[in-house]
Amino acid sequence: MDTQQGIRVENLMKHFGEEETRVDVIDGASFTVNKGELVALVAPSGAGKTTLLMMIGCVTEPNGGKIWLGDEKVYDDGWLIKDTRSIRRKKIGFIFQAPYLIPFLNVIENITLLPQANGVPEKEANAKAMELLTYLDIADKAKMSGSQLSGGQNQRVAIARALANNPQIILADEPTAALDAERSVSVVQMLKKIAQEQGVAVIMVTHDETVLPYCDKIMEIVNKKVVMKDSLEDVKII
Amino acid sequence: MINLAAKDIKHSLSKFIITAAGVGMLLGIVLIMLGVYRGMISDGTSLINDIGADIWVVQEDTLGPFAESSRLHEDFKNTLRSLDGIDLSSAMTFQNLQLPHANGKMTRVFAVGYDPFGKMIPLNPKRIVEGRGLKHDHYEIVVSKKTGFALGERIPLGRDMYTVVGITEKTVSSGGDLLVYLSLKDAQKLQFLYSNARIRNDRARGIKGMDSHMINAVVATVRDGHTPDEVAAQIRRWKHKGVFTNEAQKEILTGNLIKMASKQIGMFTVILLIVSIVIIAMIIYNMTIEKIKEIAVMKLIGIPNKFIIKMIVQETLLLGVLAFVAGVGFAHLIYTKFPKNVVLLSEDAMRLFVVILVASLLASLFGAKKAIDADPTSAIGG
Ligand SMILES: Nc1ncnc2c1ncn2[C@@H]1O[C@H](COP(=O)(O)OP(=O)(O)O)[C@@H](O)[C@H]1O
Ligand SMILES: [Mg+2]
Repeated sequence: MDTQQGIRVENLMKHFGEEETRVDVIDGASFTVNKGELVALVAPSGAGKTTLLMMIGCVTEPNGGKIWLGDEKVYDDGWLIKDTRSIRRKKIGFIFQAPYLIPFLNVIENITLLPQANGVPEKEANAKAMELLTYLDIADKAKMSGSQLSGGQNQRVAIARALANNPQIILADEPTAALDAERSVSVVQMLKKIAQEQGVAVIMVTHDETVLPYCDKIMEIVNKKVVMKDSLEDVKII
Repeated sequence: MINLAAKDIKHSLSKFIITAAGVGMLLGIVLIMLGVYRGMISDGTSLINDIGADIWVVQEDTLGPFAESSRLHEDFKNTLRSLDGIDLSSAMTFQNLQLPHANGKMTRVFAVGYDPFGKMIPLNPKRIVEGRGLKHDHYEIVVSKKTGFALGERIPLGRDMYTVVGITEKTVSSGGDLLVYLSLKDAQKLQFLYSNARIRNDRARGIKGMDSHMINAVVATVRDGHTPDEVAAQIRRWKHKGVFTNEAQKEILTGNLIKMASKQIGMFTVILLIVSIVIIAMIIYNMTIEKIKEIAVMKLIGIPNKFIIKMIVQETLLLGVLAFVAGVGFAHLIYTKFPKNVVLLSEDAMRLFVVILVASLLASLFGAKKAIDADPTSAIGG
């Protein structure tokens, strides 16, 4: 057993529709992301990046293959766990292109919702959330609502939310798409720091080549399969 | 755990309150409808209750003065008294009259004629708010306050002038007409004697004048040791009259007169209730749809269904309870403004509360189903 294993995928398959309408999106993807690694996932639009992330995140069911999250095998031609949502709330942090905060909750409530659903006492969850907000430099916004914050501040709240349940895995789908170049770099640096400091395996979908130098590895989807590259060379961003 | 329902309601508080108030008004109307029905029953039986008879004797083969024309001779009250089981008996008349106001307007009333010196008085003294009951055999009238006549006012009826000596409240006939009380003699004159012109005319044509010693019903109470049923059977056998126990008379009233109206009101109430429930269901459905993106995000990051469902159910129940409270308040605010008697019973309100609670729960299931079916990946679509 590889204790360094963060995410492992073997011969993963995914298609949508059947017969005439069938579209194969992922057809035999295999790769491993180690704990502490920040891996960029690049591919043209519609290539299946989000679909791949959602399968790893136990949201979308694959059509075949195997998935390990850490040491736990969660998929083997079928889910091995009944409650995939419990895997998500215990092991995974999600970050999306937009913050998608809950508008009727304030900043700190948005962050503590998931830990509290996990059974963490409110006080403890609040303390952890304040720590994260301080780390992300928006501690003074804790009681505000998302509508009072800028786009960049909102995205940082979303990052804090993804970190609040101490995830082993972070799945970030174009987290910097809505941010300017400077902010984008700082968000990626932050993800890299989290990966390294906390041994989290991070996959980050991106179209932004300025952030690639901060990533440990780069994955591409080529011919519905995943190609892992250790260097920036011959990576083409579309 | 954060109470999502409380947070969401706080976030859109004014909208929530306005919605609850709107549904509340609908529920208020439902309560008023039920109150109108209760009012009819109470009005319809109040005169009979005030009379307090055990037995009603009416014209043979008729259902009595509240259902059809019933005539019998006044003497029958004495005949009746000779029966073993009878304690008190009294002759009464019941008729509709038009009371002319000074300004020429007419008010339709239901007149009860009774012997002011008799033992059975249909005018419940508790209902007199001004003046007194009848004290003389002639030319006195006691009217319902809502007729608009004042104490001491003089009203021309038939060939005579009547003086208002008493004013009552909450006195209505089963048909909804306001009650007035006259002495038996006056009432007989008004019911059975025609105008001078008509009498002259009839005489010229050889028609004999009407006997004015007729009445519409004899009411009686039975002595201890006798049951109304037994005495009624005896009268029926020997005297060839229609006889009803008080219960049977009430049954005729509620059966014949109130049943139709109550069916109508019942239909309205049911329809209104269904409309209210559909509206609650639609509101909950809408409230869920409005939050469907947030619900999808919550599902995507891993929030269990039970938290989401709890939010929907709590919001729905709160909406139902708030609407109910608003409805009760609204009903109590407006019920006195209705021309007919509206009786709000707390047992009706409790029943409505249960119905609304159950309906809200069902409506929230509707919303919960929508939330459970929501695709978490739809959160990040687009
Ligand atoms: N739920 C779905 N039903 C049908 N087709 C889908 C669905 N989700 C994604 N697809 C298709 O799968 C392909 C990959 O989509 P996606 O993973 O969103 O691509 P990317 O994130 O790389 O832009 C696209 O052709 C898309 O149309
Ligand atoms: Mg995508």
